[in-house]
Amino acid sequence: MSGQAKNSLFPVVVIGLFCITILAGLIGTLLPSLNYLPVIGHTSFSLSVWFDFFSYPGIQTAIRVTLFTGLSASFGAVSLAFLFITFSYGNRLWKFFEKILSPVLSIPHAAFAIGFGFLIAPSGWLIRMVSPWMTGFTVPPDWLLLNDPFGISLTIALVIKEFPFLIMVTMGALGQLDIKKTLLAGRALGYKKEQIWLKLLIPRLYPHLRLSIFAVIAYSFSVVDMAIILGPSSPPPLAVLILKWFNDPVMSFKMLASAGSLFLFFMVMVSILCVYLIEKSAGVLRPWTANGKRRSFLAPIKPIIFFMGSTTFFFTAVSSVILVIWSLTWQWRFPDFLPSAGTLKFWEKGLESSFDPVMTTLLTGIVSAFIGLVLTIGCLEHNVTAKQRRTRNYTNYIPYFLYLPLLVPQISFMAGIQLLLVIMRMDGYWITLMVSHLLFVLPYMFIALSATYLAFDSRVFDQAMLLKRSYIMVLFRVKLPMLLKPILFSFAIGFSVSVAQYIPTMLVGAGRFSTITTEVVSIASGSDRRVIAVYALIQQFLPMMMYSLAIIFPKIYYYNRKGMQV
Amino acid sequence: MKSFFLILIGLAFLFLSGFSQAFAQEWGEIEEKAKGQTVYFNAWGGSQTINEYIQWAANAVQKKYNVHVIHVKATDISDVVSRILVEKAAGKNTNGSVDLMWINGENFKAMKENKLLYGPFSQKLPHYHLVDIENKKTLLYDFTTAVDNMESPWGMAQLVFSYNSNRVTNHPKTMLELLAFAKQNPGRFTYPSIPGFHGTTFIKQALFELIHDPGVLNNPVILSEFEKNTRPLWEYLDALHPFLWRKAKAFPTSASQMVSLLNDNEIFISFSFNPNSASNAIENGELPDTIRTYIHTGGTIGNAHFVGIPFNSSARVGAMVFANFLLSPEAQAKKADPRIWGDTTVLDTQKLAGKDKALFDAVPKGVATLTPKELGQGLPEPHVSWVQALEKKWLEKYSK
Repeated sequence: MSGQAKNSLFPVVVIGLFCITILAGLIGTLLPSLNYLPVIGHTSFSLSVWFDFFSYPGIQTAIRVTLFTGLSASFGAVSLAFLFITFSYGNRLWKFFEKILSPVLSIPHAAFAIGFGFLIAPSGWLIRMVSPWMTGFTVPPDWLLLNDPFGISLTIALVIKEFPFLIMVTMGALGQLDIKKTLLAGRALGYKKEQIWLKLLIPRLYPHLRLSIFAVIAYSFSVVDMAIILGPSSPPPLAVLILKWFNDPVMSFKMLASAGSLFLFFMVMVSILCVYLIEKSAGVLRPWTANGKRRSFLAPIKPIIFFMGSTTFFFTAVSSVILVIWSLTWQWRFPDFLPSAGTLKFWEKGLESSFDPVMTTLLTGIVSAFIGLVLTIGCLEHNVTAKQRRTRNYTNYIPYFLYLPLLVPQISFMAGIQLLLVIMRMDGYWITLMVSHLLFVLPYMFIALSATYLAFDSRVFDQAMLLKRSYIMVLFRVKLPMLLKPILFSFAIGFSVSVAQYIPTMLVGAGRFSTITTEVVSIASGSDRRVIAVYALIQQFLPMMMYSLAIIFPKIYYYNRKGMQV
Repeated sequence: MKSFFLILIGLAFLFLSGFSQAFAQEWGEIEEKAKGQTVYFNAWGGSQTINEYIQWAANAVQKKYNVHVIHVKATDISDVVSRILVEKAAGKNTNGSVDLMWINGENFKAMKENKLLYGPFSQKLPHYHLVDIENKKTLLYDFTTAVDNMESPWGMAQLVFSYNSNRVTNHPKTMLELLAFAKQNPGRFTYPSIPGFHGTTFIKQALFELIHDPGVLNNPVILSEFEKNTRPLWEYLDALHPFLWRKAKAFPTSASQMVSLLNDNEIFISFSFNPNSASNAIENGELPDTIRTYIHTGGTIGNAHFVGIPFNSSARVGAMVFANFLLSPEAQAKKADPRIWGDTTVLDTQKLAGKDKALFDAVPKGVATLTPKELGQGLPEPHVSWVQALEKKWLEKYSK
């Protein structure tokens, strides 16, 4: 039983790691916002930075736009996801989504934004499709479709990108609810399908999705790459403004960036608190859930939801197709529907020069996802045993720390950590780079795995223990193999989170390590869409490969285990 | 008396030759010490043509001097400035992460003011004497900040407008004509958002052309007179904005986006900071071959870009060897070729002879590139203090 006793080490390690880094990150953000940044000669504490922040030209609009896009994108994505499940669970559309979910999810945000932008811009694919023969446009119309001052196009893009993520988390969580039985019982009592979902299933589903929803909120508020491409420009959303300040050659703007980051963090926390309060007060709906009405008022919007759900996938798929076309383009001018001249040159060059970065990406991603997996399973196991034995459960403290890196704007948080690492002379090493990825990999893996893992039928475990009596053996021979599918999926998620890291790679890696993402981001600061497309596709390929493995491998592994082939 | 002078001259010669010998010796030592060093060259990585050029130069110094150069591709060099600042804050005075960086303007000023640069060093580079510091004042004053040999020249830049000759027959030649063009072609011109180097440059150019007394721009901005001096500029922008792309409700986020907009025919007139960039983009298919360039009568703002060595570089001598190679006629001529990069040389080609001169003579003129005579002498940058004042006012007026 020794393995079982020692598993409290896992949560302690995780809490320790996150405690130190979060503290460093927060102090490194807080001090400059209080006018303390000795290296540029600011050593007296004051609130002047905050006054500067609130009087910065356009700050009110920036905050308003951030609030609007953040809230409406989260609300839109979550409600669309719930309604979509309600209407389409189990039907053909749903099964089709299950198949194409992984490639859709593996599209990086920035790559999607570029493709999406090229699709709906006045000079984009949709208009080209009907020009000039129908519209008469020989030059693109001057329409404000992207970068609108309200952030509507950014909001739509965020909904499209977050919706599949929520669907994926839902698919994972549905396994633990007896969906079919509930549906059958509800049907037998004469309830419409939508009513069963709204009244019975979604309230039970919600706790499994809570953390993912918080992550979606945090992401929608602090998104930078998509906001630069699709969001308003003058003023931009707060997160973009923070990045601009942070990168301003005038050093004192860094203090403004810190204040802005804290304010953004505050906005995210307040929004999450609001969601939490809404959740707590959802009890007022209880009479409604029990009012016995079996008819659904939702039926009329069914086709709309089908349409919207399918559209999000359509847009994502087409964005990828656009990238493929651009990567093979030599010349592509308005109003040509397809390039007038193609070339393989950019692929040849791109593949050649991205070989080393891809290797670094693979190594960092696989190692950090593997360590993330060990820590996640270790913590969850500790949770299970502590609950069984009613001993001290360290895992209870984990959520407070684990999800903070997702809630704080990355740039200023990482800047604090960078300072700490440079002081300890630990920057520029691969190992610290990998650990910095772990800060973001681990929370997502936790989100992805914990619900399913904790719902594992303990009777199976107990039965095996009766037969074998070795905790480690049972864990590795019975439990983990049975959980192979969600484990591999969370591994793939962890890997793709690591692949996507730009700011940690630059700040902690001190420019010593180039990954495919640092290549993409630097080449995307230029203008050549053909080269950008090649790199973005290579970047996209890596997580896609991992997701595919996560799907294919269990099929092979379980080929002779009928009960596991779901 | 005569013999005394002769002796004196002789002594002077001896001294000078000794001096130059010592100089050569010192450089020889530098090259010797640099052998085997790894130089992390941090430079913007947004252009494949530039990245390839840097890779070529890195391969060349590896072969010639056994110096290993690694191009660290930055999105924005100010990220790198921040990193060096953090290293200074943490007391990391040796073994810094950056050995050489591509830099100019505000970033140079910030680094110089915060003592983040090693130097002076550029005068030690043997190729530095070929640099045209006599005629190119911006090589001594980088955005009006004295260079003081704290960075080594790399290339020249000048604001040039580019237009699609398929769409524009008579391109404007002044800011006022640009306004007339915008009124005739609503939505077909724009400039990148502010703050940001390219957008600010457009504002500065407009100010140069519109201000009553351009002389005041050479001096630090006097805030009490700022309103009065810049009023023509704001009146101009107020008149221009309704006719800009998206009616000025959105601005491109970068100069790069301007290139895409020009390619997509969303705008007909764009601008860049490299007189050769249009030719280069035509060459590699990024822009249609109907793009041409022009500058405004009275000239456009010009400046230069440099490479600098951070104070805590652990490979200073290697960085100097690379900086010197970047100044070599071989590297400068290759860089000036619009098929390669098309970045204007900092060298005085008059000082070159023989093979070196032939290198430059062989550089073809880009199809959309203006002649040096047409480009003329670039206008000097306004005093650096104007930038913040202009950006602040712009944001207050147009970014609400």
